[in-house]
Parts: sequence; structure tokens; C-alpha cells
Amino acid sequence: MSFLRTLIPFDIIGGLTVTGRYFGKVFFSANRKKIRANLAHFTQEYPEVPVKLQPRFRGRLTLLKDEQGEIKCVCCLACEKICPTQVITIEKGKKEGRKMPFPVRYDFEMERCIFCEFCVESCGFDSIILNHQFELAGYNREDFSLGMDGLGHNMFEPSPVGRHSVAED
Amino acid sequence: MFKNEEMEINLGPQHPSTHGVLRVKLRLDGETVTKCTPVIGYLHRGVEKICENKTFFQGQVWTDRMDYVASISNNLGWAEGVEKLFGIETPRRARYIRTMLTEQNRLASHLLWLATHALDIGAMTVFLYAFREREYLLDLFEAFCGARLTTTAFRIGGLREDLPPGFIKNAQAFQDRFLACIDEYEELLTENRIWKKRTVGVAKLNAEDCIALGVTGPVLRAAGVPYDIRKAFPSAAYAEMDFEIPTRTEADTYARYLVRLAEMRQSHRIIQQCIDGLPEGPVMAKIPKILKSEVNEVYHPIEAPKGELGYYFVAEKGGTMPYRMHVRAPSFVNLQALPKMTEGRLLADVIAAIGTLDVVLGEIDR
Repeated sequence: MSFLRTLIPFDIIGGLTVTGRYFGKVFFSANRKKIRANLAHFTQEYPEVPVKLQPRFRGRLTLLKDEQGEIKCVCCLACEKICPTQVITIEKGKKEGRKMPFPVRYDFEMERCIFCEFCVESCGFDSIILNHQFELAGYNREDFSLGMDGLGHNMFEPSPVGRHSVAED
Repeated sequence: MFKNEEMEINLGPQHPSTHGVLRVKLRLDGETVTKCTPVIGYLHRGVEKICENKTFFQGQVWTDRMDYVASISNNLGWAEGVEKLFGIETPRRARYIRTMLTEQNRLASHLLWLATHALDIGAMTVFLYAFREREYLLDLFEAFCGARLTTTAFRIGGLREDLPPGFIKNAQAFQDRFLACIDEYEELLTENRIWKKRTVGVAKLNAEDCIALGVTGPVLRAAGVPYDIRKAFPSAAYAEMDFEIPTRTEADTYARYLVRLAEMRQSHRIIQQCIDGLPEGPVMAKIPKILKSEVNEVYHPIEAPKGELGYYFVAEKGGTMPYRMHVRAPSFVNLQALPKMTEGRLLADVIAAIGTLDVVLGEIDR
């Protein structure tokens, strides 16, 4: 019996059956889009097909404005204090016709950011969010120092760093 | 004309089968290993020292980056350790969700182990199937906390938010097909003669040696010692769960493989119990905005996928940061069994031994 088992590799045939089953499934459904959607294809053709992100995805930090175009941030410095890597620097200032303090500078050094979302959690005014951007690679160091304006890049708009997507080339 | 000479070679730090930046100095007599010395520290970031300068809330993000394969387990250890230090009671629903996510993370960690261990030894097929299931789990983590690997999933006192809509449905869909997936892995490996030749009787470590070296986790359980922190010192909602501790007595690589597969089945069982018995209620306890500690010290162990993961906190009076934080990392302790497992054996078995210990270098070097 053991001689027969050595001669006929049942164990390897069993393994090949699993592979063959999946090969068959994919082979006969590869060119038919409808079946393909039903089958669990787990790979995504990433740069051509955009990735579906979950609603809670943690991307780049973004400052928000309210309906009147005013910056929502009131310089309570909660985000600056909670940040584990100290990437946020806020300078308090005043603006005419605004009761609340106004951030003159809101600097964000993305190269050290660890995307933990503690800042958004600590904010009591909903003035910052982490958006859904993840293509954050840049060509030089200045690309990663974001601010309100002037210095580096703008924190309100989608990151200019994200423009260099592989899909566009 | 011919000389008998021992040769010293380096395995790593850039060797793909050392799973990171582990360097192993090997003295070889032909193909036989006469001396084996693991060299660590290439990934040292000083996590313990950093955490002494961060508040109890902030420190959690560094625990993600220790064992990055099982970051939710690390989060659980940190959160529960700090809660123990301050005597905070977590709501029951939060404890159930924590248990469920930790077990799902155990599955993800074991799947990564299975995939890479089999790949090191030479079975490539199972890599693709194991990563397919892991992908699904990582999507679940992303839905819950927004990140796939560096999760920062829990907060001190509970959770940041409740489960997102549709999470239970997706988790149940995973539950429904996962057992069939484990059967597939078993079909590919368990009876495979090549797999058995490479694993049966390789890298043995008996129970006495395991206990003497402080080895925990599946390696200890494969030597026949039914020690599991989830049963011995239950935290989260493990005391309310019904599960078994799988053990084997052979104490070799093949036994560890079987123990881990059986553990995956038990984890599946725990997740099902969490989904079925998920209580209603709040997910966050009332905690002050600034935690100020009294003079106190706490050691809190949990069962991470690799073994006993312990957090040790020393707190001073009025401090917002831990005075001293120490991590008992399972991979770090388990790695010292490597010389015992490999000396006097063949070079190819070193690869199997590193794989079977399931080391993660982020945790060893910290």
C-alpha cells in the first residue's frame, strides 16, 4: 500500500486539483465581463482603474472653509498639542471683521506625518479632515511642506503632489 | 591537499527569507551549521524611549509600528495596559468589537505567516491564496479605522467610533467562506510529501527548552504546553468566549504548522461568537481629557499571534506620560531559540526555522 502511495502521488494531485479548479474558473470567465464581476477577482488594475477607498480612509490633512469662504480654524491648538510627531505649526493672528482668532500660518510637514487622525479627532470645530488622497509621493522635499499659502503648497486644494499620478502618463 | 575548514557566512540582513532585516551569522562545516548567532538591531527606532516622551494617548501610534503585521493586537495591549493603570472600565460592546478585530488580525497575521513560510520552503501556490483572504481582512480594517496596516484602532477607554455600516455583513461573508479556504490550504500542504520532507522533524524544540528560553505562542503549544494568555489571564471579552487551545506534542515545524492552522479555526469560532453576541450600548467610557497618573506600575500581557505580548508601565505622580515603558515582545524572546533549533542541522533548515518562529523584525528591534 505504501509502495502504491509512493508510486502515485495522490497528495500532489490533490494540490493540483485546487489550482486547476481556480484556473478553470478564471479561464472560462476571463473575457466575459458580467461573470467576471460576480467572481471574486481580488487583483485590481491599479493605475488604470482608480482604487475604491473606504469612507474612513486616512489620507492627507486638509483645512476646511465654511460656506462664506472663511477658514474654520480658530487656533485652539488642540491638533498641534495632540500630534504625536509635531507636524503642525499654527501662528495665531487677527483678521478684521472676525471675532474668533484667525490662523496666520498653518504649516503642515507631511514628510513626518503618520496619518493617525488624532488631529481630526481632537478638533472641536470640524475645521480639518484627512482626505482620501494616497498618491503622495513627491520629487523634492519642498513638495511635502504644506501651508495656507505662499510657503510651499496649498492645504485647501487637493495636493499638487498627487497630480503626478501614474495613470496620467 | 584538502583542508577541513569551517566557513563563516552571513544570512541576511537583506536575505528575502529572513523576513526583514535579520542577520544570522552562521559557522558552517560543509552544509552543517555548527554555530548560529542572530544579530539584531538594524531596525531599532527606540520605541520604548520615544513613548516615555509621549502622553498615554499619543504613544499608541508607535505600537502599530512594532509588529506591523499584527498591529491591532499591539493596540489592544497598549490600550488595555493604560486602562489597567488608570482603572478605566471599558464598555462591553467595545470589548466585544476589540476581541473580534484582534482575532481577525490574528487570522491576517497567521495567513501572512503561512504564505511566506510556505514560499520560503518552496510551495508557492499557497502564497497567492493566503494573500487573497488577507486582502479581504485588510479591507475590513480599512473600513473600521481607515488604515490597513498601521491601524491605531482603539482608544483608551474604548473605541473612537462604532462599527461602520455594513461591517458585520462583510465580516459574516468572510466567515462563511473562510473555513473552506483553510481546507484548501490543507489540501495544498498538509499531506504534500515535499512539504512533509521539509518540515517533519525539522527545528525541534521540546517543552523544557521552550520554557527555559521563555518561548511562547504557537511554538510552545506545538511542544505540548497548553499555555495561552487568552485562557490564563483573559482580557477584552475572551472570558466570555468558548474556544479551545490546540496543542501538539511533536514540537517540530510540521506540528507548529498544524497548531497555527487549528488556531485559525479557533479564531474563526471566536469571531463568529462576537458577531452573534454583539451587545448594544456605548463604545466609549467617560475619561478625562488629560490623564494624570499616580505612582503605579502595571504589567499587562495579551496573546499576540506570535506569543505573549506584554506592556509594562511605570507611572509617576501627576505624570501625563509613562515614566518607563517596556515591551515584552514575543518575536524578540522567541528568536533566542534559533541557535538551539538549528545548531547541528543543515543550512536549509535554518530557513525553515526562521519561518516557523514567525519573527517580525519591527518588533524585535523596536
